[in-house]
Amino acid sequence: MVASRPLEGIRVANFGWVWAGPVLGQTLGFLGAEVYKVESRARIDMLRTLPPFARGERDPDRSLSNHACWAGNGSVSLDLKKPEAVELALELVARCDVVAENFVPGVMEAFGLGYDTLREVKPDLVMFSMPTAGLTGPLRDIRTYGLSLTGTTGLDSFLGYVDGPPIPMEQAFSDPFNGILGGFGVLAALRHRDRTGQGQHVDYSQQEAVMQLIGPAFMDYAMNGRSPAPMGNRHPLSAAAPHGVFPCAGDDRWVSIAVCDEAEWQGLVRAMGDPDWVRGPEFSSFDGRLRNIGALHEQLAAWTAGFDDRVLAERLQSEGVAAAPVMNVADLLEDPHYRARGTFIEVRHPLGFDETIYGAYVKTSGFDAAVRPGPAIGQDNEYVFKELLGVPETRYRRLVEEKVIY
Amino acid sequence: MPEAALEGLSVVELGESVSAPYCARLFADYGADVVKVEPPGQGDVTRSWGPFPDDVPDPERSGTYQFLNTNKRGVTLDVATAAGREILLRLLAGADVFIENRFPAQMRAWGLDYAALAAVNPDLVVVSITPFGQTGPYSAWKGYDLNAFHLSGASHRYCGLPGQPPLEHGTFSAEFYGAATGATWGLAATLGRERVGGGQHVDVSCAEAIASTFVGAHNIAAYAQDGVFETRTGVGMRLSAPATILPCRDGHVWMLAIEPGQWKGLVEVMGNPEWAQVEMFEDMFVRGENADIIYPLLEAWTLQHDKQEIMERCQAAGCPATAVTTVAEAVEHPHLRERGYVLEVEHPALGRTLSFAPPFKLPGCPPPPPSPAPLLGEHNGPVYGEWLGMTEAELARLREAGVL
Repeated sequence: MVASRPLEGIRVANFGWVWAGPVLGQTLGFLGAEVYKVESRARIDMLRTLPPFARGERDPDRSLSNHACWAGNGSVSLDLKKPEAVELALELVARCDVVAENFVPGVMEAFGLGYDTLREVKPDLVMFSMPTAGLTGPLRDIRTYGLSLTGTTGLDSFLGYVDGPPIPMEQAFSDPFNGILGGFGVLAALRHRDRTGQGQHVDYSQQEAVMQLIGPAFMDYAMNGRSPAPMGNRHPLSAAAPHGVFPCAGDDRWVSIAVCDEAEWQGLVRAMGDPDWVRGPEFSSFDGRLRNIGALHEQLAAWTAGFDDRVLAERLQSEGVAAAPVMNVADLLEDPHYRARGTFIEVRHPLGFDETIYGAYVKTSGFDAAVRPGPAIGQDNEYVFKELLGVPETRYRRLVEEKVIY
Repeated sequence: MPEAALEGLSVVELGESVSAPYCARLFADYGADVVKVEPPGQGDVTRSWGPFPDDVPDPERSGTYQFLNTNKRGVTLDVATAAGREILLRLLAGADVFIENRFPAQMRAWGLDYAALAAVNPDLVVVSITPFGQTGPYSAWKGYDLNAFHLSGASHRYCGLPGQPPLEHGTFSAEFYGAATGATWGLAATLGRERVGGGQHVDVSCAEAIASTFVGAHNIAAYAQDGVFETRTGVGMRLSAPATILPCRDGHVWMLAIEPGQWKGLVEVMGNPEWAQVEMFEDMFVRGENADIIYPLLEAWTLQHDKQEIMERCQAAGCPATAVTTVAEAVEHPHLRERGYVLEVEHPALGRTLSFAPPFKLPGCPPPPPSPAPLLGEHNGPVYGEWLGMTEAELARLREAGVL
């Protein structure tokens, strides 16, 4: 392994909060950038308050969710309501390549940290803003969390059981998606800077980024004027049957099975021991199986119900059928596949306890991702303010005392 | 006009379905030259998926293919033949990035594993996006979006009703997620080649990316520490309330009020009903514990109002509730019109069709207007002739042999 990472030498001031912004910082951090989340004890980020806490001790530096979501970010603490804190933030930005934030438009300006101000101290700055609905347009001021954001994209309208109401995806799928894809935006803007010397203010609308996922459904609307309804686990474009999850032995155990062509169907038939029902006219052709997918799924569910999910997945795979267990949270930690890939790792937090976080969620042959534990509030204050910005010890102590650095 | 952000990057895509094609579309959207390699005859499987205008199948008129492959050039090549693989290697010798989503064992069998590609071009960044990844026991498994999504824990933990089957999103969520992940890590590896010392293999498992950053994020540490885990509830978030989708007079709304000011705003919008004045409800966690009491009372109110009205009044009061929009309502919203999100594309077989603008705006280097997805083999001439310098006779022979 070569020691250097792709983004080594890139410094990021991350004003991002809650989940999407910090995951952006994490992604850049894993890739080698030096990332400082700018936060404050004066208004503790909601994500730091989420239980459970390390060894059960409720403390904003011990939220286990928080550490996993923010790992890779460093942290400096500044109470941006105070003018001297804003001055320090500007000094930090002057030494950064990238500023990232996911507030409602106007909040950074209210802090005195709008793009026009920041570019004065750092002319080639890449400022990356990822509000809900972008920096312009009639919905620019809307407030959402990742949960309600997806309501505006169309995506939530067709998630649910067939003939049923929309069912919410819990816990905001869009947040980490936007944090990761946002990294692509930062990198594209950095390439432009490196080639031209020009910075810019990237306008990343989380709504528009998530809407990319409805592309296939959107094309049906564009071509045929249709909007989809909840479709269960069926193939979004009706290009596979069976296509669903089916019950297995045990409590809340399921197997996913997707059959996309005739060879796979024949494999499934072999795995089932060639039962009589598959020869019925309703199931003998692909079109028939699609038309009668409800009945097909019932037949299949009756067969799967007695099997262990993993055993069944192996059996179907050996016949060339795409099948896999539906995993619960415990499976993720204990499953041999995720163990073999080192998906989850135990780290020692700077405050002295061990915790399990996800590691490099992409495997790269050319470098080891820089995975660090989630930051304690202000853990990098001394380095950033004293060494990077050159604040003398006496002033530093005063700033801490006056809760400017806080 | 400044050049687009990724202009000058050369990308070859050997992709089918959603993951590798969408990843390559992201590169293409911001100016990279992307050449998509498809098998002769049928092409990418999405050509058969549709949707098609008036539901009439035609491999040149598939909406999904069009959406995922805008701004690319397209060539046909049978990489199952030795001659085809030799041509692919010649393309890769001059490329910066290779994006693929084939079965890992198939790539090895073809002699197209990473070691073989690096031997041809040590600076090549190879982005492989597969359901399960290049290593680990399930890397030998066949899988589609459905299998990857359900292997990630996302459905069991977060999506569906208790006791009912866990649910996928209804789109190709795992593949899109893997595509975005591969784009970011792949571009970083590409821009960092000098620092890292050349190209490398970027191995994305769609299941692992979601299992880590979405599901693992909020669940694994808790399970590792306390030995207990949770499963799907059918509501958006149990920790607080309201945080779920509720029916309203004309559809559904995302009712969300977590922080104190948000809850206060919602209570005002509802006209300060007595039930909501209970002091302990000011605590977000207490509301979560009393969700069974709160939701029916709140639903009685939402059912008397329309979704847009609820969204507007809640937003004005500082409460982050939204309307659950249908695809039509989302696309037709004036906000997206004003931002130019829905693009018109002239396509040789579809005529005037629509697509979405790229996911984010780079005002300092806006991309050129969109070009339509390629017809099957549309750019064989320019790519094989001009790029590889193959003669007309050579091309004719390869066409004859079914390689192109």
